[in-house]
Formats: sequence, structure tokens, C-alpha cells
Amino acid sequence: MIVCLAVVGHQNNPLYIQSFTEADDALKLHHIVHCSLDVVDERVNNPKKSGPTLNETFLGLLYPTENYKVYGYLTNTKVKFILVTTDLDVRDTDVRNFYRRFHAAYVDAVSNPFHVPGKKITSKSFAERVSTIVKSFGLSSSS
Amino acid sequence: MVEPENTRLGKMLLDEITPVVMVLRTPLVEESCRKNGLSFIEMLSPFCNFNNIDVPVRTASDHPYRLRKFKLRLFYASEIRQMNSEVAKDRLKQVVTHAGDRDISELCSDPPAIETIVATSELEIVPSWFQTFNKQLVDAVSFSEHESFDHPVACLVAVSSKDQEHIDKLVDLFDTNQLPSLLNDGAMDPKILKYFLLVHDNQDDILEKSTGILTEMRSTFGAHDCRMLCINSSVDGSEEHHENPWASYRNNALHKKQFGCFINVDDIEELKTTMQDLSSKHIIPHMELKIRVLNQQVSATRKGFRNQIKNLWWRKGKEDVPDNPNGTMYTFSSIESQIRVLGDYAFMLQDYELALSNYKLISTDYKLDKAWKRYAGVQEMMGLAYFMLDQSRKDAEYCMENAFSTYLKIGSGGVRNAVRCGLWWAEMLKARDQYKDAADVFFRISVEEPLHSAVMVEQASYCYLLSTPIMLRKYGFHLVLSGDLYKKCDQIKHAIRTYRGALVVFKGTAWGHIRDHVHFHIGKWSAFLGMYDEAIKHMLEVLACGHQSRAFQELFLKDFLRIIQETGKTFEVLRLQLPVINFALTKVVFEDHRTYASSAAASVRESLWRSLEEDMVPSLSVIKSNWLEIQSKVLPKKYKESNVCVAGEAIRVDVGFRNPLQIPISISNVSLVCEHSTESDETVSNASSSLINYQNDTELRTVSVSGDFSLDTPFFTLSEVGTSIQGGTSILVQLTVTPKTEGTLKVVGVRWKLSGSVVGIHNFNADVTRKKVARGNRKLKQSIKNKLEFLVIQSIPRLEGVIKNLPRTVYAGDLRRLTLELKNPSTVSVKNLKMRVSHPRFINIADQEAMDLEFPNCLKKHANSSESYNHVDCAKAPNSVFVFPETTSISADTPLVWPLWFRAAAGGSVSLCITIYYEMEDKTAVITYRTLRMYYNLEVLPSLEMSFKISPCPSRLQEFLVRMDVINKTSSESFRIHQLSCVGDQWELTLLHTVDSVFPLEYLIAGQALSCFFKLKKCQTRVTTEDNLSSLVTSARADVRLGDSDSRLFDTSISPLILFHHHERLLQEKLQQEHQSTIDFILMSESQNESESGQPRSSEILSHHTCHCRIASTSPIRWLMDGPRTLRHDFSTAFCEINLRITVYNSSEDHLSVRINTVDSTPTVIPVSSAASVSGNEEGWHDLSHLSDIKLTSDLMRSKVGKALSFESVSSFVWSGSSSTRFKIEPLSSAEVPLQVCVFSPGTFDLSNYSLHWNVLASGEGGDDEAGSRVTSSGTCQGHSYHITVLQKD
Repeated sequence: MIVCLAVVGHQNNPLYIQSFTEADDALKLHHIVHCSLDVVDERVNNPKKSGPTLNETFLGLLYPTENYKVYGYLTNTKVKFILVTTDLDVRDTDVRNFYRRFHAAYVDAVSNPFHVPGKKITSKSFAERVSTIVKSFGLSSSS
Repeated sequence: MVEPENTRLGKMLLDEITPVVMVLRTPLVEESCRKNGLSFIEMLSPFCNFNNIDVPVRTASDHPYRLRKFKLRLFYASEIRQMNSEVAKDRLKQVVTHAGDRDISELCSDPPAIETIVATSELEIVPSWFQTFNKQLVDAVSFSEHESFDHPVACLVAVSSKDQEHIDKLVDLFDTNQLPSLLNDGAMDPKILKYFLLVHDNQDDILEKSTGILTEMRSTFGAHDCRMLCINSSVDGSEEHHENPWASYRNNALHKKQFGCFINVDDIEELKTTMQDLSSKHIIPHMELKIRVLNQQVSATRKGFRNQIKNLWWRKGKEDVPDNPNGTMYTFSSIESQIRVLGDYAFMLQDYELALSNYKLISTDYKLDKAWKRYAGVQEMMGLAYFMLDQSRKDAEYCMENAFSTYLKIGSGGVRNAVRCGLWWAEMLKARDQYKDAADVFFRISVEEPLHSAVMVEQASYCYLLSTPIMLRKYGFHLVLSGDLYKKCDQIKHAIRTYRGALVVFKGTAWGHIRDHVHFHIGKWSAFLGMYDEAIKHMLEVLACGHQSRAFQELFLKDFLRIIQETGKTFEVLRLQLPVINFALTKVVFEDHRTYASSAAASVRESLWRSLEEDMVPSLSVIKSNWLEIQSKVLPKKYKESNVCVAGEAIRVDVGFRNPLQIPISISNVSLVCEHSTESDETVSNASSSLINYQNDTELRTVSVSGDFSLDTPFFTLSEVGTSIQGGTSILVQLTVTPKTEGTLKVVGVRWKLSGSVVGIHNFNADVTRKKVARGNRKLKQSIKNKLEFLVIQSIPRLEGVIKNLPRTVYAGDLRRLTLELKNPSTVSVKNLKMRVSHPRFINIADQEAMDLEFPNCLKKHANSSESYNHVDCAKAPNSVFVFPETTSISADTPLVWPLWFRAAAGGSVSLCITIYYEMEDKTAVITYRTLRMYYNLEVLPSLEMSFKISPCPSRLQEFLVRMDVINKTSSESFRIHQLSCVGDQWELTLLHTVDSVFPLEYLIAGQALSCFFKLKKCQTRVTTEDNLSSLVTSARADVRLGDSDSRLFDTSISPLILFHHHERLLQEKLQQEHQSTIDFILMSESQNESESGQPRSSEILSHHTCHCRIASTSPIRWLMDGPRTLRHDFSTAFCEINLRITVYNSSEDHLSVRINTVDSTPTVIPVSSAASVSGNEEGWHDLSHLSDIKLTSDLMRSKVGKALSFESVSSFVWSGSSSTRFKIEPLSSAEVPLQVCVFSPGTFDLSNYSLHWNVLASGEGGDDEAGSRVTSSGTCQGHSYHITVLQKD
């Protein structure tokens, strides 16, 4: 189950952060997302990156915390997507698939002429779309 | 790469893993030492640390090397046991608390910027007490049985010279019962190296006696193993030491007496030699010897292929031995223990290779035996040995990890060992710059015990900070984590410290959630510790947290207010975030020569007033020169540009407050902050009591008494407002300041009180400068600065004006009389009053006499009034300035009352601007004239809507049929139609039906529509068109009574009706193109509803004007065929010739050329091809649906006729004469053309097969300047049907 999904701008400012749990753990998830940015930075700036991985947007498992797994994704515009999940056995293909759909949703949301780049994403339809994607992620991985 | 010995871990190991000496002493020894404020061990310890002992040692394989650094650890026998975990915990807590207390002073200082933190070295960032803490942790697990480096290597037995029976004492001291359990339970060899010391106190005893005892001892225990130590040689106890070796003990000593005050230089020298002797002559050789012995033993039993096989075989056999984590099965004599001892001794003598090889040897054994604790211990030592050898980092790490996880695996017993192992491991990683891994290790150490893990997590966070690339976010996160843990153990000071460290990371980022959390907790905890300033400073940061949930906002605000209350003081806060000030909304209203009757008037755009006042006020250039002239005399030059306001008149500043929260907040005591300086002193002195010098950067001030800010100063008066702002909304607060004396007044800022406890101050200037920085626009700054600086001049008269009984809501067409009342409260009189109205369509200035007339009866026709009308001066041009008569004067008691006519001309929301200009009688005043601006906004509801259609009478050229459609557009009001008048004396209007048939009801109720028909007759030919405008005359014939018959008709030719009509005409003229042969209608009606109060309202009069109605026709020509209708003719003789006449009337203003074509066949041309100008004729129509329906049917009928014709087109008659006649018609005149038709048989004929073709002649002879621009148009009209019946004459 996905507990949190975040979009972080290229200046590491949060653009969208949404938790999918009932519990009041917003602060914790904020911290987790914020911390994982360090790992993203580390991955991105790693000079050892070679050809095939150079243009790879999917960053893979960022770090496993006690109860969560954090996955990262970096778009061409240096916008980061962070996914926090409680599933302990997640297949990379599922996450990749999820990110592909999420990226499409994000692109649609920022293509809105009323969206100010670098500001928080407040679009309701984006939120709805994301929640459906999140729900479907849970289904596909369980099957 | 730093040498392993010189790294922190290296030093630590050289310090920790050293031979232990067990100390046994008699109480008298201790007593002698106490004189110096030291215990026996404390006295000896400084001399056990040898930085350059320089002792030659041989390795097991006879390889010589020299030992440089060496240390002995001295412990009393009672101390040689594993520390109780409770005691250890207490000690740790003590360390932490102690450290927390020490750096409380730092908590208040600002944390350094992140850049500086990154730049500083590790030593500066990491608090120094961590080392103490870590040492405590390490010490807590010493003397465990599986680690032989903690087992005493030697025993130091000391007796005092004062003791009796020394030999017995010495023997007794080594009584096994009191010895540590390690020696007794077989974990270590009880045959231990002993060293006997006779402590001689020079103060109490004579040396000779002691020497005797020593000899005795030597003879008993051996000459080498005994020694005498002389102390307390100094008699007076005032010995001063340059470098006091005991300085480090100062911390835990209470008395001030200097340490070692009885020990003189000789004593110190002796102490040194004693300890040196002990280590170099006894302990080191002893250890060396033991290494050799053990090595030989190990080689014999375990080295070599045969032994290994044997060992393996033997171990295999023991495989089914149950897990025994305690490993008690190994006694000191077992080969495993011996190997371990060998390794440890070698490690202590810094022969790491030998140590490593032995550890390796033993580790597999322990593993096979499942002696996990021992295995872990050996692994740990292997890791350290690898490190000290500086080879194979991977192995070292692997060993440490292995040890760590093994310790953890064995459960609670191994936790503390695991902690020690982890610490060493982390240090190892740090020494190799693997800070990130070190952080992970620290994080892994943090188990159970919250305090313990708090410190560990904090250490981990510093590792993140030191790692490359720097991991600031993790640093922050771990600091927050550790802060929480500190809080859990009530170490609030540490919690604040860590949170403040974390704040550096989150400051200035967009991660508001986290930042708010950090600020809030620092604030809360600071308040808990009583550091209120700090607390408030942090709480202020979180107040404006619009992004938080409602619950959090409530919590933040509540806690903030609670803290404020706890302080018991009123704080004044610069830049209080709650509520937010919308600077953009700030509007300043002040009155110089412009004065406003209401606040609404002030909000009207200045340009609107300017255009309105354009003609009234002295022209701009003139006043400027005049004004400046006077100004420069009176005022210093620097004020030339600043705003002028008048003493005693309020300056209004609108300040917008916005509540970013979802919960309502209340603000009170909102007022302006102003400074006033009188002109007399040139320097801007602090003339006002409320002037606060904001230039210094104090963000927080304590106001001792809340009342020190007074609203009423000798120089100005301030208004005060209190309100509550709902969540998420903005309000506009109007604040005023009224200067009392001349001088300069400056509006500095605004202050308010939040929830009755915190005073917030907002400085307008700060805003401006900030904006300036942002935009770099200097001009802007200038303008805003000026906007808030006022030059106060002496009081001058100010008129107050009001229009009485002006309704807020009114129905369109409503006609009323209003009164304008002007007051002059001051004693100085004013003159030259002028007035101008923005919408003369709505408001007309009446004559003074109108005041006394009875309304609305004055509008009605008088019974005796003659036909002659009273000439109305329509030349009273629109938008003209009304000049009040010279005689009108205004004083304080008698206000000027002047009547105004009001008519709601058009629907919608209407803004009426009225400006009144006046001049001062007093010539000395700085401002010579002023204008009073009045503004009213009213809503005009639609009432009656009417439209007219005029169609030509088919039978007569000068008569027209008028159809009037009236619809009541109101929702509830009903009206009584009173009369319809047409303007102009050449018209005569009569109703086609009786009044009753048209108006079955008296009233036209809401939503009802009504149409009725009139006959309109042009009763006289037009003489001239020029005087049409100037003399609009109605005659009695032009009015038609539509309502009840008892009331008199209104006279539409008198003021104000004719005035308003004039304006309507002007307006509607603009809307449509000019046509001179138009007619204007005025519909008078009365509203008959009762007002809400139940009192019968005086009936309100409504007038509706429709101007420029035109005859609805598509072509500019009208014609009429004239001739006999029925005639008899004898067809036997000849065919019948009939003479006809056609009269064509040109209703346009152009010269027309008309051609009449007669066709004998069926006409093929379908009428009307008209150009733009012609189609414009229909524009008088209102697009009401029922009207267009009617039009449609008429069109249908016409087409039907056409069709019928085509079938009957048996040409039984022919047109005779020319088939085409062309002629010209002057505008608005008619021409007559004769026609002839020949009929061949009797019957009824339709003579419609002719057509009129017209085209507009180009300008020139017409002289109409409009024609040039107009598109010349032409058209063809199909002939009207004209039936003629010819009968056979008998």
C-alpha cells in the first residue's frame, strides 16, 4: 500500500505531498520524503553513472526505513517523485509502471495554463487522478 | 592517511586496551593520600601514562622492537567487576545532564548559518562531551570475563609505614575472598604478578623505620618485588606545582585545597620512577615472558597440520554440545583462553600481527563451539587489530559488523558489548572518512534506552553533516529524532539544542510542515525552561501557518497565547505575522483642497473628479503658480512636494488585514502610529509621545505598562478599532489620525493587539524599503514615502453637504424632487459656490423657487393655462456648471438648501458624482479654494418598457398609425399609465379605441404587457427645421389621457420634464442616426404601491421618454395611387381608358430620383434591395417578441398577394403611356405623376404590376453634408395592390 506520494521541485521545494493513510503522520512522511532527497542527490551526482543508466529516470529503491520503502524517480526537468510504500516485496516493474502513469498525470497537471511553474500543484483533478493511480497500484501488486 | 595510532580510535585503543593493575592497599595508605585531596590511585595515575617509555620488546619470533607509548590502568580490587547496569545508566545520565547544564548559555544565541557549519571542522561541531559519554559506555562493559585485556596483569599491594605487622597485612590484603570474582571463578590465572609497595608518609613517620620495614618485606617477598614510596615530604602543605599532574581531577573535587599540596618535587620524581619501574621492569617483561610461554604452548598444540586436523576432529565431536553463550566452560587453563590471553597480551604490547593470528586461530574454535559472546569478542579484537595494522579495511569492517551483530544476537547480555563494539566500529569508519557508514552504525547502536539512543542519533547526525557529499537533510532529520528522544528523557536543554541545530537546515526552505514543527517545539520547550524571549521568538514564526490543519493552527495559537500569559507581560512585536497586512490594499485619504462628503466619494477615481472639476477650479497652471507662490513664502522648500492636510481634519488610512488561518482571530486596539514634528524646531524631534524609534533592530520589546501608548496626544488624535477576522478572510480597517496643530505629520505604521495580549507593530516604511530592494524602483519608494508624510496647515472652512431623501433603489423613470443641503461649520464664510453634476440625465439643478412648489402637482397643466407655453431655456447646456447666486451664503446655523430634480433615467447601478466648488473669504489661507465631492450610488430597477411602431396610413400620406407596446418589467410594482404625449407642436395624437377598452384594469400590474393604437396626424406642414430644437412645444392635442379622467394632464413642456426630455433626446440621438422627421413620445405613469410602512406614499411619478421614433418603412418613399375605384364603361364601343394619379412622398432627407416602371407581365422583381442606410430605418424598434411576430405575418400576407397575382396574370389590361417615368423629389416633399391604364373587358383588376425604382442622388444640390459620407443607395418597390372594378355599361 502506498502511504505517501510527493512531487519535489528542482530546488527541492515540495510541490505536492499527499499521504494516503488515515493516521496523523504527515510530519513523519514529510521527514521521510525530505530525507530521501539526500539520497536522490547522492544518486544523481554519482559520477560512476554509466551509459544505460545515465538517462534512466527511475532511481529505484532510495532507502529502506524501518517500516517503509522509498522509491525515487527523477524527471528531465529535475522534478523528483518520491513514493513511500509499506509493501515489503514490491517489484521494480510495478513501481516503474506506476511512475510512468504518475509522470503522465504530472505532465498534464503542469500543462494547465493556470499552473504556475515552481508553485504547489493544487489541481483537484490531479489529486483525483493520482488517487486512482495509487489505488490501482495496490491492486496490481497484490494480484 | 593518518597513522592508525594517531587517529581518534587509535588513541582510544592505546588508552583503553592496556594492562590492568589491581591495587590493594591498607586504609592507612589511603589516609596518607587523602591529605593531598587524592585517593591512592588518583595519586599514582598521572604517572602510569608513558608517552615515551622506550622499552625494548621482542616478539614471539624474537623480532625486537621498542615500545613507545604505554599505559597502565590502575583499579582497586573492588572495582574490578562488571558495572551494574543501573549504575552505568545513572552515570550516563549524569554526563548528559551535566553537559546540558553547561551549554545553556548557547541556547539563546543565534545558530550559525549553514555555510559556516559546513566549513567548520569536526571538533568544533561535535559537542566535546560525546567523548566522555562514549567512554562511559565503553567502561561500562569492562572486566567481562571473556576479554582478557581487562584482566589484571599485575597486582600492586601497598601498605603504609604506619601499619603494624606489615607482612601479615600484605598477605591479608591478598586474601582470596576479597579478590574480584574473575580471579576466583577461574576465568583468569590466579597466579598473578605481585608488586609490593611500602608507602611512607614523611609527615608522620621517620624514614629509618620505614627502611627497616622495607628490608623485612624484601626478605619475605623477594628483593625485586618490593619498593618504598615516600610521599608528603612537604611540611607546610603549600607546595605549588607548575604543571599540576592532577589537574584533571579538579572537576569532581569539592574542596579548594590544591591537589598534591604535600607532595614536593622529590616525591613526584619518586612517584615517576616507581611507576616506570613497575611497568618497564616488571609488567612488560612479565607480559613478554608470558607471550613467549603461551606462544610455545599454542604452537605445540595447535600449529601445524596435524594439530589442526586433530583440533577439527575434536571439535566435531563436541558438536552436539548445547549453546552456551556464557562460555563458562573455558577456564584460564583451557587452550582457548590461553590463545585469547596470548592475543590480548600481544595486542597490549602492540604486536598486532601476533595478536591477529591468534585471534584468527581462536575465532573459528569459538564459532564451532557456539560460544557467541567469546566469538564476538574475538571478532571485535580482530577488527581492531586489522585497523591498527592498517590493512584490509574490508576485513576490519567485516569483523566489526560480525561482532556487532553477534553481540546483538545473544540478547540482552550482549547489548552493552554491542554498543562498545559499535562505537569502535563507528570510530573506525570515521577515521577512514566513511562518515555516512559511521552514521548508519551510530543509528544501529541506538537501541532501547531513549537517552542512550538520543545521544547516538545525534552523533549519527553529525556524521551526516561531515560526510561527503554533505547530507544536510539527514542531518536535520536525525537531529529532530534525537531531540524527540531527549525530550522523552526530560533532557529539554539537549532537545532544544538539537532542534536548533535542525532549524538551520529547514530555515528558508519550503518545507513548512517540518519547520513549523521545529519552531513550535523549540518555543514550547523554551517556555518550559522559562526562556520566554526565545520561546516567543520561535512561536512567532509558526503563527501564520496557513498551510497547517485547523487543529494545528488552534494549537499553535493557544500555546502562543499561553506562553504570553505566562510571562505576564505585554510584548510589542515588530513584524507580528498575525494577521497579515496586505500592503497593497492600503489607501490613504486626506483632504487638501479636495474634500469628500462621504468615504464612498473618496474611493472614486481621482481622474473622474478631475474631469468633472475641470472647468470649475482655476486652471491648473494658474493655481500651481499661485499656490507655490504662497507656499514658498510660508513653508520651507522641502515640503513643497509633500501632501497637505488641514488641522482638525482626519487623515484616513485603509489597512488591509488578512487572516491566513482557518480559525477566527480577534484584534483590538488597532491604531496608526504617527510622528508629528512642529515646524519651529528644524530637527525632527520626538515631538509625540508615541513616536518609537524603529531604526534599531529590536524585534521584540517588552512594554511594562500596556497603557503607555495614548491615543490622544497634544498633536494629534488617533482612532482605535477592534474587530475579529474570520478564518481565511481579509478585512479593511479604516484608521484615522486627526492632526491638531500645524507642522509635519508622518504616518509611520500601524499597531494592533492580537487576542488582547500581544501588540504587533507594522512599519510602513520597512515595507517600502523592502519593496525597493525587491524591485529596485526608487521612484516608487519616493511616492509612497510622500504619501505618508503630510504637511499640516491651519484650519480652513470645510463645507459639508448632503442630498436629502435620495433613494437607494428606484424604478426607472422615477421623477423626484430632492434637496441639497450645504453646511459650513466654521466661522469663516465661503463664496463663489459652483456645482456640477456628472449625470445631468439623472440630476438637474432646479430653481430656488421649486423649493416652495407642491410636487407633483406643479407639473400638471393648470386649468387656466393658455396654449402658450413658457419657454424653457434649453440652452442650459448639458454638463454645464451651475453657479449659485451671489446672494447665497452659508453659515453654521443656516444651511443652504437647494432643490434638485431627479429622474432615474436608465436602469442599472448608477454612480452619481456631484462636486461643489467654493472659495475662502479669507485670502490669507494657504488653500484658497476647495471642492466638496459628493458621491451617491443608487440602483435603478427596470419599470416600464415601451416601444413604438409607426406605420404609414395606407390611405393618407400625412397620417400614421402608432402602435405602443408597454410592458411592466417589475416583479411586484404596478403602475397606472397616465398619459402619452408626443413632443412637438405639429403632431396630433388620438386614441383609436376608447380608454376603457384599452385599459380594462386601472393598473398595469407586474409582468403585464399592453399594446394600444393611436392615430398620429401631422397637423401642419413643417416650416423650418432650425427652430425645432430650441422650441419644443406641446399642444393639448399632443397629449392623450390614458388613465382615469379626473386628474389633470401633466404638462410635458415645463421644467423639469422638458429638461430631462432634452437629455434623453441627446442621449438617444447618439444611439441612432439622425433623422429629422422623427417624433418623441413621453409616457407618464404613476406608481401606486403602498410603502412598507403601510402609509400611503405620495404617488410617485414616472416618465418614460422614447425619442426619434420613425416611420417603420423600408424605403424612403411612400406613395399613394389615386383614381376611381369603380366605373362603368361600354366595352362595345371602345376599351376603357382610366386615368390614375400616383403621389410619391419622399420621407428621407435626401434628394431622390424615382422611376415608375409599369409592366404588363407579371413582375419578376421581388421588392427591396436596400443598402445599409435603408435598413437602418428599422432601428427604432425594440426587439420584443410579439412585435416581430406581427411583422412576420404581414410579410406572409404580402407574399401571398404576390403569388395570387402570378396565377391570374391574364393581361386583361395594359398600361398606356410611357412605361417608365422618371422624376426627382426634394427631401420631405411629394410629387404627383399621372398614369393611364387601358382596360379591355369588364372585371376587377389589380393594378399592382408596377414598380417604383428609387435611388438617392449624390450630394451637391442637396447640400446635405451627411450625404457625402453616406453610401448612395437605391431600391425597387413593388406596387401596392389597387383594385379597380370596371362594369359593362348597359
